Amino acid sequence: MLNYIMRRAVAMPFILLGIVTLAFLLTTITKGDPLTAIVSERQMNNPEIVAAAKARWGLDRSLPERYVIYVANLVTGDMGTSFVTRRPVSRDIAARLPATLELVIAAMAIGSTTGILLGLLAAYYRDSVIDQTARLFSLFGSSVPIFWLGLALLFVFSVHYHLLPGPGRLDARLTPPPSLTGFMVVDTLLAGNPAAFKDALLHLILPSLVLGWTVAGSISRIVRANMLEIMEREFILTARAKGAGELRVVFRHALRNILVPVLTVLGYTFAYLITGAVLTEAVFGWPGIGSYAVIAARSLDFPAIIGVTIVGGMMFLITNLLTDIAYVFANPRVRLN
Amino acid sequence: MAMAIIRPKTMRRRLPSWVSPSFVIGGAVVLFWLFATLFPHWLSAFSPLDLAGRRLQPPSPDHLLGTDALGRDVFARTVYGARQSLPIAVLVVISAVLIGTAAGAIAGYRGGFVGAAIMRLVDITLSFPAILLAMAVAASLGPGLGNAAIAMVVVWWPIYARLVRAQVLEVREREHVEAAVAAGASDFRILTKHILPLCWTPVLISATMDLGQVILLGASLSFIGLGARPPTPEWGAMISDGTVYFYNWWIAFGAGMAILTIVLGFNFIGDGLRDYFDPRSSK
Amino acid sequence: MSVGISGYFAGHGRRWKGLLAATAFVALTLSFGAASAKTLVIARDMDVNSLDIHRSWCETCIIYNEAVYEGLLTLDANNKFVPVIAESWQASDDLTTFTFKLNPKATFSDGSKVEAKDVKWSWERLKNIKSNGSGFADTIDTVESPDAETVVVKTKGPNSEFLNIISATFFGIINSDVAQAQGKAIAGTEAAQSDASEGWFMAHSAGSGPFVFESYEPGAELRLKRNEKYWREPAKVDEVVMRQVADSVAQAQLLQSGQIDVAMQVDAETAKTLTSPDVKVESVPSFNFIYVAMAPGAVENPFPMTPEIREAISIAIDRKALREFTVGEGNGELISVPFPLHFPGADGHAIPEYNPEKAKELLAKAGKGDGFTLSATFPKLNVYGVDLSIMMQKIQQDLAKINVTLDLKPVEMSAWREKISTDHIPFTVGYYSPDFYGTSQFVQTFGLAEGTLWFKRGGAERDPSYLIPENLTLMAQALKSKPEEAEKVWFKIGENIKNANVVIPIMSPNLLLTYSSKVHGMRNSAICILPLYEVSLDD
Repeated sequence: MLNYIMRRAVAMPFILLGIVTLAFLLTTITKGDPLTAIVSERQMNNPEIVAAAKARWGLDRSLPERYVIYVANLVTGDMGTSFVTRRPVSRDIAARLPATLELVIAAMAIGSTTGILLGLLAAYYRDSVIDQTARLFSLFGSSVPIFWLGLALLFVFSVHYHLLPGPGRLDARLTPPPSLTGFMVVDTLLAGNPAAFKDALLHLILPSLVLGWTVAGSISRIVRANMLEIMEREFILTARAKGAGELRVVFRHALRNILVPVLTVLGYTFAYLITGAVLTEAVFGWPGIGSYAVIAARSLDFPAIIGVTIVGGMMFLITNLLTDIAYVFANPRVRLN
Repeated sequence: MAMAIIRPKTMRRRLPSWVSPSFVIGGAVVLFWLFATLFPHWLSAFSPLDLAGRRLQPPSPDHLLGTDALGRDVFARTVYGARQSLPIAVLVVISAVLIGTAAGAIAGYRGGFVGAAIMRLVDITLSFPAILLAMAVAASLGPGLGNAAIAMVVVWWPIYARLVRAQVLEVREREHVEAAVAAGASDFRILTKHILPLCWTPVLISATMDLGQVILLGASLSFIGLGARPPTPEWGAMISDGTVYFYNWWIAFGAGMAILTIVLGFNFIGDGLRDYFDPRSSK
Repeated sequence: MSVGISGYFAGHGRRWKGLLAATAFVALTLSFGAASAKTLVIARDMDVNSLDIHRSWCETCIIYNEAVYEGLLTLDANNKFVPVIAESWQASDDLTTFTFKLNPKATFSDGSKVEAKDVKWSWERLKNIKSNGSGFADTIDTVESPDAETVVVKTKGPNSEFLNIISATFFGIINSDVAQAQGKAIAGTEAAQSDASEGWFMAHSAGSGPFVFESYEPGAELRLKRNEKYWREPAKVDEVVMRQVADSVAQAQLLQSGQIDVAMQVDAETAKTLTSPDVKVESVPSFNFIYVAMAPGAVENPFPMTPEIREAISIAIDRKALREFTVGEGNGELISVPFPLHFPGADGHAIPEYNPEKAKELLAKAGKGDGFTLSATFPKLNVYGVDLSIMMQKIQQDLAKINVTLDLKPVEMSAWREKISTDHIPFTVGYYSPDFYGTSQFVQTFGLAEGTLWFKRGGAERDPSYLIPENLTLMAQALKSKPEEAEKVWFKIGENIKNANVVIPIMSPNLLLTYSSKVHGMRNSAICILPLYEVSLDD
């Protein structure tokens, strides 16, 4: 197993190269004018300006040439300059990644807590109303179009009842705190600004709830299935026979024993959330890398498209690898093999 | 679902094991939408494309879900929307299953360089955030449901390739396969006669659930403008229209409910199938 | 400002609304404090492509350009010239030599004097950098600075619109010493290849305007602060914050709740929800317009689109109903020539009458009474508060009545641009807003003659029948004439374009100014959209 993980780790750079290549190829089948974000409409008629723009952004070179230059630069960490923001893509991504992570972590917290609790309840009160309700709740989360749910919640809680703020991370009137961690909730605290902290927290509620809901289902399902299996095992029966309290049985004995599958599903869920945040970011005006990718795709901002794809793919790969490693360490039997 | 909750356990025991309540409910919902796909005009008197009344009218007995920005009946558009989503989802899943099964079978049975190459391609494709990959492909090919469908096949086939490969690897070791190999059967025959027939259960369960997921992704693509072209009544596009006329909530309501119910329906059926084929997984 | 694209980013394409709302609000990197200062908060769907005035071509950019870099002269609310850095100016009789006297009091934000050499350097850089604004400087032959307070410009030919052109914000004056020393900016003929100062301009400013650059975070916010050394009366607010809020509903909500002072892109439908007594909604005529167009040379045309067929399609569009469906009555003017309202030669053209019966007759005469299908690729956007998709679907319903089927294909702007310049598009929709107050730019775009944008877009290489070469001679004549005569010539060109029915202007949507009642001095400017210098804020 360790061997397998080593092999995976070694294969990663090659898979990354594959991602870069595929992203590059995708940009070539695009039937769009790459100068859209660079040369204004009326100046498209001016050959000098068009030629100068192409030369400046390297669009006068052939694709293989651009590919080689890009990969060579990438090795040094240079992902090129965005057509749209005119800043290094790496800097743009670094500025936006914390927003996505903040959302994903919050969604992860909500999704996993809800999922695990629901799974436990459902398994414990198997086939009861609670079990069925939990199942329906999870199924709803994985069936509802996230963009519609987000809009509906915004309409109800923000527009109609004014209970929660609208899109974004912070009230427009509040001065954003200095970016130390990039996490608005943490930065407002560090800046010692309770009002801003409260506002940032309120902004985080709806998007993370919507996103968390979509994954609570799969988590609760795994927890339930594993719990059902464990609860019939001998040691649980023994613990019960010895007169251990029910709570103690569930949390001490059973839960500990299903840690491995739960950990695994949490890892994959995290990887899924990183990418699944795109639509949520879209609906809630969340300035993360998902929305960055969408803007890039719309304006054919090649450096940004490829950059964000690489970073997204890399995070996905690393999370999965870490999950596998955690799996090995949490499960001694696998390690011995 | 409410029925399932109050139904006594003893009664459920007497029913054939595949008739789980979730299967029945899911089936009923899907049948309803199938009906809407085939006979939308029986459900709505209005055309989904023509002016049906004043624009932006709230729901009323005449227009159950009101009218949209162009004065079209939202209920009619919702019902006719099934004609877009359902057939495309079926087509996408079947294509993805066929391509994925072929690729996975070859990778699992033959292995070697070809198998490794296929699986690396699978790894790479699966390393792309699904929605981003679909967006990139759909944006490159241009708008339209057909291109969105292609994009979704590109996203989905590797999932089946992985699933089938794992199955093939397991089944390959079984005795009857070894017997067939010893008997000198051709690779193709061994695969199609002895291995694949034993692999189809997880594929079927997965495919049923994926029908719902494909509808969701398709609607997402339309929502961000990469799917259906106007004036096609498509659910994702209708929700997108609803965001423009944010205060006229009814424009998006029907489409949202439609997606929710149909995806729930497929999930229920998938659940029922899983209960039937693999009772251990949920009990 | 420059046409399509800026609108593209600014225009919060509704399909994408949510997605671009992505970049709403936000913001980082700013410190706390200065609570009592007067801060004007503006919500915009920001489209900043560059803060280097010579490379910029977006709506947000020109608001910024005008506030930070001053030109020699500018336009007042009545589109009349008012002096800024130039104290006086003079044109030679043949309209080829223009002499400016600079105001000796004018200083840059670092306190140094604005001199003729700065004007020369700025305009030469604009010309040589071969970027978006450079096209406007093409008319310049030489810029000389005989002494520190005199600038003499020679144009390549007579140009009655030269003063209008240089009132565009791209002609703002940069502190050349600072830009060269700190930003390593280059103005010489090698500028197109060697100038790498854009990054510096996106983090600094070096102008003489009432505001200076404070900070910029792409997709989040742009902050300007008052130029404390401003040489004229200081700006009325201490700080201006333009915040990214992509979507109309969100902008309206923020305004309603008092979180922002000005919302710049609230559409008519959403404006109806602005009921707070503290919010003002003003619908003012704009200089933007929307047109539909048929390329006679489009590859996908089923057969040649003759003038009769084009006329039939034009009169089959119910323009009044279209306005009602898109912006609502009273929120836009119908137009028939591709010049902004009240620009020279723009007024007095009749609006084509809606007449489906006559349209059918025309089609029958052309032998196409049974109808046909036109492919209609168009950018999927919301521009000037008009959802182009809704607009095209309404036209689709109209044309169905004369048996013409529109096959609608909404696409990304990039795909649209590629398509319209290669295969051209049988039926599409476009939009335009002026870069400066003058009509020549519209003839260069819509003139339907060689060298104009619609020479290419209409597909003249496949079907040149729609061209009107006369427009070029007329334009040369207008550029040689005094304003009153020129106006007549521009009018004639407008009629020519209108009668060709290739570019069919539809309407000029009103601009909705929505702002808090604490804000004063809001107006729509033809050259800089919102002159920040004139805006003030009550306590």
